[in-house]
Amino acid sequence: MNLLLKSSLYTLSLTALIFTTSCTKTASDKTLKFGVKKSETLIVNLQTEPPSLDWNKSTDTTSSEVQGNIMEGLAQFDLADPELKALPALATKWESDKAVQKWTFELRTDVKWTDGVEFDAQQVVDGWERLLNPKTAAEYSYFLYNVKNAKAYNEGKIKDFSQVGIKTVGKHKLEVQLESPMSFFPSLLVHHSTYPVRKDLIEKHGDKWTEAGNMVTLGAYKLMKWEHDEAILLERNDAYFGEKAKTKYVLGRMITEQSSAINAFDAGEIDVIPELPSNDVSILKQRPEYQKQNGLIVYYYGFNTKQKPFDNLDFRKAVAMAIDKKEITKVLGQDDVTATSWVPKGMMGHEEEMGIKFDPAKAKEHMAKAGYADATKVPKITITFNTNENHKKVAENVQAQLKRNLGINIEILNEEWKVYLSKLKSKKGYSIFRMGWVADYPDPDNFLNLLTSTSANNHTGWKSEKYDSLIAKGVSELNSDKRKEYYKEAQKLVLEEDVAAVPLYYSIRQYLINSRVSGFKLNPLDEKDYKSVMVK
Amino acid sequence: MGDKFSAFSKNHILDIYKIVMGILLATGFVVSVIGVDGMLTTILWSTIGALLFAGMIFLVIKQHLLPYLIKRFMEAGVTLLVIVTLVFLLLRLMPGGPFDSERALPAEVMANIAAKYKLDAPLLEQYTHYLGNLLKGDLGESYKYLGRPVSSIISDTFPVSLQLGVYALILSYLIGIPLGVIAASKHNTWVDTGSMFLAMGGVTLPSFLVASLFILIFSFQFQILPPALWEGPLYYILPVVTLGIRPAAIIARLTRSSVLDVIRSDFVRTARAKGLAERVVLFKHVLRNSLIPVLTYSGPLIADIISGAFIIEIIFAVPGMGRHLILSVTNRDYPLVLGVALLFSVLLVVSNLLVDIFYAIVDPRIKLAA
Repeated sequence: MNLLLKSSLYTLSLTALIFTTSCTKTASDKTLKFGVKKSETLIVNLQTEPPSLDWNKSTDTTSSEVQGNIMEGLAQFDLADPELKALPALATKWESDKAVQKWTFELRTDVKWTDGVEFDAQQVVDGWERLLNPKTAAEYSYFLYNVKNAKAYNEGKIKDFSQVGIKTVGKHKLEVQLESPMSFFPSLLVHHSTYPVRKDLIEKHGDKWTEAGNMVTLGAYKLMKWEHDEAILLERNDAYFGEKAKTKYVLGRMITEQSSAINAFDAGEIDVIPELPSNDVSILKQRPEYQKQNGLIVYYYGFNTKQKPFDNLDFRKAVAMAIDKKEITKVLGQDDVTATSWVPKGMMGHEEEMGIKFDPAKAKEHMAKAGYADATKVPKITITFNTNENHKKVAENVQAQLKRNLGINIEILNEEWKVYLSKLKSKKGYSIFRMGWVADYPDPDNFLNLLTSTSANNHTGWKSEKYDSLIAKGVSELNSDKRKEYYKEAQKLVLEEDVAAVPLYYSIRQYLINSRVSGFKLNPLDEKDYKSVMVK
Repeated sequence: MGDKFSAFSKNHILDIYKIVMGILLATGFVVSVIGVDGMLTTILWSTIGALLFAGMIFLVIKQHLLPYLIKRFMEAGVTLLVIVTLVFLLLRLMPGGPFDSERALPAEVMANIAAKYKLDAPLLEQYTHYLGNLLKGDLGESYKYLGRPVSSIISDTFPVSLQLGVYALILSYLIGIPLGVIAASKHNTWVDTGSMFLAMGGVTLPSFLVASLFILIFSFQFQILPPALWEGPLYYILPVVTLGIRPAAIIARLTRSSVLDVIRSDFVRTARAKGLAERVVLFKHVLRNSLIPVLTYSGPLIADIISGAFIIEIIFAVPGMGRHLILSVTNRDYPLVLGVALLFSVLLVVSNLLVDIFYAIVDPRIKLAA
């Protein structure tokens, strides 16, 4: 017993030692990581290490969340406007010629980078050159393909950048020549890939120009600390040209696992959680910190029109009519909005009366017309999706609905994300697939271009010249009423007449926001703008 | 036994060495746990490392281990080459590429990316290119974390995993060995049954369940420990304990059965007959001789704890290498997968080698021969 006593005493005292030394250290003040005071700091969960703060190269939402707060584009979206039109930011105004092919941008003259250097038009040109330079290998380089000769420069066919249609006219003015008319061109200049860059600093630091200490920006915040894979610290930029940020620091944590993030939220280690685990939504919804916001996201099922039985229009119609979208959103239980048109609610091009209505009786008629009066004769159908709890719920529900309403037996098959993508790329081995689209910029073209015959994202195998030409007309039209007409016609064609795909719902975004935080403005683009946020 | 036990005991320099090492290790541990930042910790650990290395060299020369070591290192080299080759090939065989994403990219853009990362070159050329860089110590650049070398991802995250692993390892010895000894010395009493019941629980309960229970109890019921993050000693407790429980239980069971074996041997009877105190018999005679199975298990254990920590790391949001272990494969981030695989292989090889060398110290009957 003596021994037992001794060893447990020994263990106890060791634990007590660790405990006391550490308790006294953390409990006395509310100093957070990097030594900042909690009362001056908004703590957010970035969910992952930002893959790259290099705005020419990055493609993910975490990186752009940080970039959007430390940088600014030539334009920004008017989040109060129902059509989310572009507003001036680094540019003060812009205009195009009548053909909508030549644009001029006047730039602000009062902007300074965090190292005191003045912002000018050449830095915008440098940014675009870097984005389009084949050596950069930027994924978003195609964003500017409509700029004259930009594509050829990106492909390496033209070596001389002066042949590309962008040039400075004086120190604070830009002129852009497009290949073809584009009415929403300024909207592209909100995107991080088109931000101006400091070529001198990139040449000086190489890939390390985005590290804290090297990085120079001009937004409301500046990058102070970046401990990779752990945390990032932004500090208010007092030399910012716009309204100064209300909270001095933003601490970005990188908690990947959603339930761990919620634990950290409950322990007061995080103020804002931008995404909730789907299985817990029904409980989390009851909490006072819960907030939601419609997103510009369409979740859809596409048909492989190159494969039996979906090569048959009547069969596609039958399936589309046999799916009650309300049932799906109910199963998901997170208040998503049932979809009508391809373009989601909250932006131009959305139509409340669009798409095929749920009608099981009529669906059966179409089945018979397609030659499948006997449902057992239908060839094998598979719903394919990438492994995910929500996708599974949707697939199981659609499987059950089609069984109930049409008597068809459907298999469901989940696959690992990259395996799934390579399957879609091969255009083989699936009959129904799921996909989603989140707005890059709130213009209907960003959504509808996806179904054109040349789009790499069109996995349906469906092609229509008429559709392509309607989309092209929409791009070059300045009059928004006329644009709406084109887009309405195009959506009618693909969703009602040819039924290549069925939009199921528009996803909502869900947050938990601690009550000590105010002024966190939710918006459909999910822009996380920290500068107006206050903390207690 | 005591005289034969250590090859060092006749040499005073080595006694001093052992004492200094002990003190340094203890201070190093305390300093790291309390979280003293900066120079002190670095100097302390580098001194420990240097001394350890010097000790190893001494041992190698003294015990004529050099040929043995050379052989083992060559074997390790071959093993690593096979691993790299296999992982390289398997990655290329997996469907889906590193730059396939939800937004399919135009062919022109893909061509630029392929050219930048030499993904358009023939496979053999890519392979030799990779090996060539590897020999120069260059693990390449991540495809996901653009512009960030794999080596810097590893050096940012691996120390955290190592820290977590080492604490858990120490904890598991601190709990496992005494528990095993106590259980064996009180053989067939309630102490024995009780502690082995606990150990059984430790072995069988999955760590994610233990983690959730701990979070529920200590973070939300009593609110004394944070449920996530890695920002100081308080934050370390739950992940370390959760990770340490299973190995502690295994060590306890191993120690107990080994002690039971030794306790019945003749020299223990002799020691008792000499009239030595039970404490001396147990610690000086029994324990030292029962640790060989525990030591055998330590090699795989070290690798297991450090690589197996990823669930714990994810649950407690510990910024270690765990998530890269999984996500690099999901992202098809070829250089990162290779880098991580290589690191774990080296870890496994080295820890097994260390264990073999420790054998020679603990038990002079074991001869390491080339």
